[in-house]
Formats: sequence, structure tokens, C-alpha cells
Amino acid sequence: MSDIPVFFLHGLAYAGLLFLVSSGLTLIFGMMNVLNFAHAAMYMIGAYLSYTIIMQMTGQFWMALMICPVILFIIGALVERFLLRRVHAQGHLGELLLTFGLAYIITELVKWHWGNYPLAVNVTGFLNGTITIFGFIYPIYRIFIFVAAVLVGGVMALILYKTRLGIILRASVNDSEMTNILGVNVPLVFMGVFAFGTALSGFAGVIAGPLLSTFPGMAQEILIDAFVVIVVGGFGSLGGAVVAALLIGQLQSFGVLLIPKLSVALVYLLMAAVLIIKPSGLFGEES
Amino acid sequence: MKQRNISIIAIVVLFLAGLLMPFVLKQYHLNMLTEIIIFSLYAISYNLLLGYAGLLSFGHAAFFGLGAFVTAVAVIHIPGISLWAVLLIGVAAAVLAGLVLGSLLLRHKGSYFALLTLAFNALFYAVATKWHSVTGGDDGLSITRPDLPLGFTTVPLSGLTPFYYLTLVIMGAAIVYCWYFTNTAMGKTVLLMRENEERMKFLGFNTNISRLILFTFTGAMAGLAGVFYTFHFQFVSISAISVDMTTAVLLMVFVGGTKKFWGPILGVFVYIIFQNYLSDITDRWPLFMGLIFVLMVLYVPGGLSGVMMDVWQRLFGKKDPNGGKSAAAEEATP
Repeated sequence: MSDIPVFFLHGLAYAGLLFLVSSGLTLIFGMMNVLNFAHAAMYMIGAYLSYTIIMQMTGQFWMALMICPVILFIIGALVERFLLRRVHAQGHLGELLLTFGLAYIITELVKWHWGNYPLAVNVTGFLNGTITIFGFIYPIYRIFIFVAAVLVGGVMALILYKTRLGIILRASVNDSEMTNILGVNVPLVFMGVFAFGTALSGFAGVIAGPLLSTFPGMAQEILIDAFVVIVVGGFGSLGGAVVAALLIGQLQSFGVLLIPKLSVALVYLLMAAVLIIKPSGLFGEES
Repeated sequence: MKQRNISIIAIVVLFLAGLLMPFVLKQYHLNMLTEIIIFSLYAISYNLLLGYAGLLSFGHAAFFGLGAFVTAVAVIHIPGISLWAVLLIGVAAAVLAGLVLGSLLLRHKGSYFALLTLAFNALFYAVATKWHSVTGGDDGLSITRPDLPLGFTTVPLSGLTPFYYLTLVIMGAAIVYCWYFTNTAMGKTVLLMRENEERMKFLGFNTNISRLILFTFTGAMAGLAGVFYTFHFQFVSISAISVDMTTAVLLMVFVGGTKKFWGPILGVFVYIIFQNYLSDITDRWPLFMGLIFVLMVLYVPGGLSGVMMDVWQRLFGKKDPNGGKSAAAEEATP
């Protein structure tokens, strides 16, 4: 039991990754009321693209971390403009089914291009090193994930609550028609939000590569966990996503340590418990 | 009433045609037809949720898979168990799951509901994968079909033809019952709840109980289809309870169209036939599935049955008395 701090740090690293994936998801859901099933597939594109950029082209992790989100931003904008917007009139069902179909197409295309097997992504430089904390030798990369998640979360919160752009975003959610009348191009705002959320998933994908390696089932694996995060945290709540990601990260980490057989079910049990006690999630507004 | 008479005639004709099929079709195609009938019940039960009640569930495979696994486990662990008992246990398990999940999840609507059902389907899948001693994990479970006791005699079901007839009768009866259900007061309550829930509440209906009953009923039907799925293949694997099985039924229903009761059956035909031939040609079946989804959502949101009704309207164009409203709504008006 002496390595409890190590498991705690593992939990933090996974929580960071979970937050990066689910923050984009919850942002899109909170702003546009679209549950994006293709989100994890976008994350998968990010991870595989980073493989190509890091392992086959430049060898630079930082390069992938900058380029992949930009590419996914563009993909997200195109998807919103040419697909999602056209089915908006059909309501939730159309949007859900569209993103669902997209998830299948993307996953299959990724398998087609990169092959149906895991690919390892290695980081070089100081990220590849280790550090001694609490008397344990610990990989720097896992700490880097947590720090990156904190930075991204902080910047998002600043934009949303401290800038003019944030005011426009929140106004578009509250009353898109009125905001439109006041001279804001609301469709453009929604396109931007979707593209930004997708870029976040791409960022998370790059981060995930060296931690979990890229493999064909990676999208499905993270999707369910990310969904659980936004259920537990409360739909559309950024603060809820932070708390839920931290909770689930630790639960996953210590679940494996304490009750390895049940560790898969623990996350769902937490979700069921939250649903029974507070159906709208820990930080969700009552619907 | 006229509409209803036509439906009854159609049911009788289809059933008689079904009786003749073993004399007409080759073994391979009869096999496929059996599969189609089983999946038809599964798809129709799903459409009662999606088309009639407007609930998008991503967890229907939980019931289907539960029925399938309970069947396999019962046949393996209780030697000499009667086929009827297996049916009963399978459906009872699905009913129980429906009551528990329904009371947990039905408080939510729309995307929330979709997401939660998906998560619970994933939970069922995780349990089936990890609980190796009972479910066989990745290996799945093989069974031999039990014989059919009829009281005065016992029919061996090892051959395809007798099993086909059993499937036709029981699945057919269940499908007809689903159709009958949509015409009962309960069925209409569900439909009107979709249109205007506030009003139904105001009129004194307990909408939560109605929804729970519907959810449990559709779960039970999916469980029954699952029981026959195991009987048919004499094998069950974790794919029966995976999210992919939900996706499959969603695709079937969506391709067939949600607005007509018989729409999903069309979808099942297309799906099974496509899958059988496409998976021979290409192993990129999921890619085609995704493309079909996206193209249908963009261009044919009404599904095949919607297209057929459009063509019918144009050819034999009487003025549509509903102004293009859904068929389900049409059936609801007395």
C-alpha cells in the first residue's frame, strides 16, 4: 500500500486526459445542445495524425500538439457547416444519427489508412524523462498531461466568463434569436464552438497517443468514459466536468489497485449512484 | 375501421405466405428468413420506443442480449429444461431489467436519455465480457436447441424447418400483439404523450407510469427476440449485447422508416440481405453502414416506408387528410 501516491498521480493523469476529451464534448452539448457521437472519433484522428507527424515526419511532439488541433478545427467547421446545420431542422434525432454515422465512417477510414493495429507514439526530450516526487520516480509526461488539462480548463473558463467573446457565447445559448437580432452572427458562433470543441478533442488525441498508444478501439473506449464524465458532472457544465473527471480518474486508478475484477463496473456504479441521488448530475441545472 | 380490416387481411396473407416458404426456399434462404423474422420483432419493439414514443434509446441491445444470454445459461445449467420455461425466464429477465432501468433513466429525455441508455448498455456489455464463468466472456456459449413439448407430443427442433415454423408462429404472434398494442388505449396514450405531454398530464394521465410500461414492454419483446436469436444460432457471443447490436437495430428501423408500423420490417430485410452479401465482398461493412446513416439523415429522413408512401400518394393521389403528418399520429385519431 506504500505506492498509494503513485496511483493517485496515475489517477490525476487520466483525469487530465478525460477532462480534455469531455470538455469539448460538454462545451458543444452545453452551447448547441448537440450530443456529438463523433467526438471520440475526432480524438482518434488527432491521435493517429500525431503518430504520422511525430513518428514518420518531424519527430517533434510539440509540432503535433500545434498542428493537429488546427486540422481538426477545420474538419469540425466543415462538418458543422455542411452536415450538421442541414439536419438541424430535424431536431435531436437527426443530429444524433448524423454524428453517429460520422463516427463509424471516421473510425473505419482511420483503420483503412493507418491499419487495424496499435501504433506506439514516443515522446522525446525532457517530456520523456522522470522526476522524483514523494520519493518515487515518476514519468514527467503524466504530470505534463495534468498540467496541460489545467491550462486548457483555465483558458476556457477565462474566455467564457471574462471576455466579450464569452458574453456573446453565453448570450447565444440563452436566447439565440435575440442575440442574432442584436447583430451577432449566431450561426457563425455555433460553427466556431463546434470547431473549437473538435479542436479540443484533437488536442486530447495528441496527448493520449504517448500515454495509451493509438489503437483502433481507442475512440469507443474513451467515448463511454467521457459520456460518464458529463453525466456525473452535469450536462453542459464545465466545472462539473472538472470534478467528475477527477473523481473518475481516481476511481479508475484505485479500482484497478483494490478490486481489479470490478474496476470496469465501478465507473458505471458511480454513474448509477449519481443518477439516483441527483438525476441532473453533480453540477447540472434541474431540467 | 377500414384501415384495420386491411391490416388484418395483410397479416393473414403474410402468415399464410410464411407457412409456404419452407416448400419454396432453399435451406440457405430459409435460414436467412428465420433471422429476418427474429430481427423484425427486435426492430418493431425498438420502433415502438423511437417512432411511437419518440424516445431515442441506445440501450436496446441490453434487453436483446439479456434474453439471449439468459437462454444460453438456462439451457446449459438446467438440464432437461423445457423450451417454454426458457422462454419465460428470458422474457422475465428482460421485464425485470426494463423496470429497473426504466425507473432510473426515464426521468430524462432527448439526448440525455440517449446517452444514459448507451452508458447502461456499455455496463451490460462490460459485465458480459468480464463475468467469464457464466457468460463465457469472449468465447461465447454454445447450446443445443431443446425440443418443443406440446403436451400430447414432443417435436424435435434440431432441423431448420420445424424451428422456422416455431419462429414464425411465436415471433409472428408477438409482432401482431405489438400492432394490437398500438391500437389499445395504452398505445394511444404513449402516442399522444409524444405529441403533447403537458396536456396529457393535465388530462390526468400518469405519463411516467405509461412510459415505464411502454419501456418495459418493448424491453420484454426485445428479450423474446433475443431468446430466439440464441435458439436460432445455437450460440451466443458478447456481440449480442454490445452497442453494435443497438446500432444495428437503429439502422434497420431508420432505413425502414419510423413513421409506419411495418417500416422496420423493410429495414430488417434490407439490412440482413445487405449484410449477407456486402460482408462477402468487403470487410469495410461499418464504413457502408456509416455512409447509409449520413446519407439517409441528409436526404431520406422518412426511410424506405416514407419513400413508398410518397410514391403511393403521387400515383394514387387522394388528398392527404393529415397534411403529411406521421402515420402514427393518423392511427391515433379515432
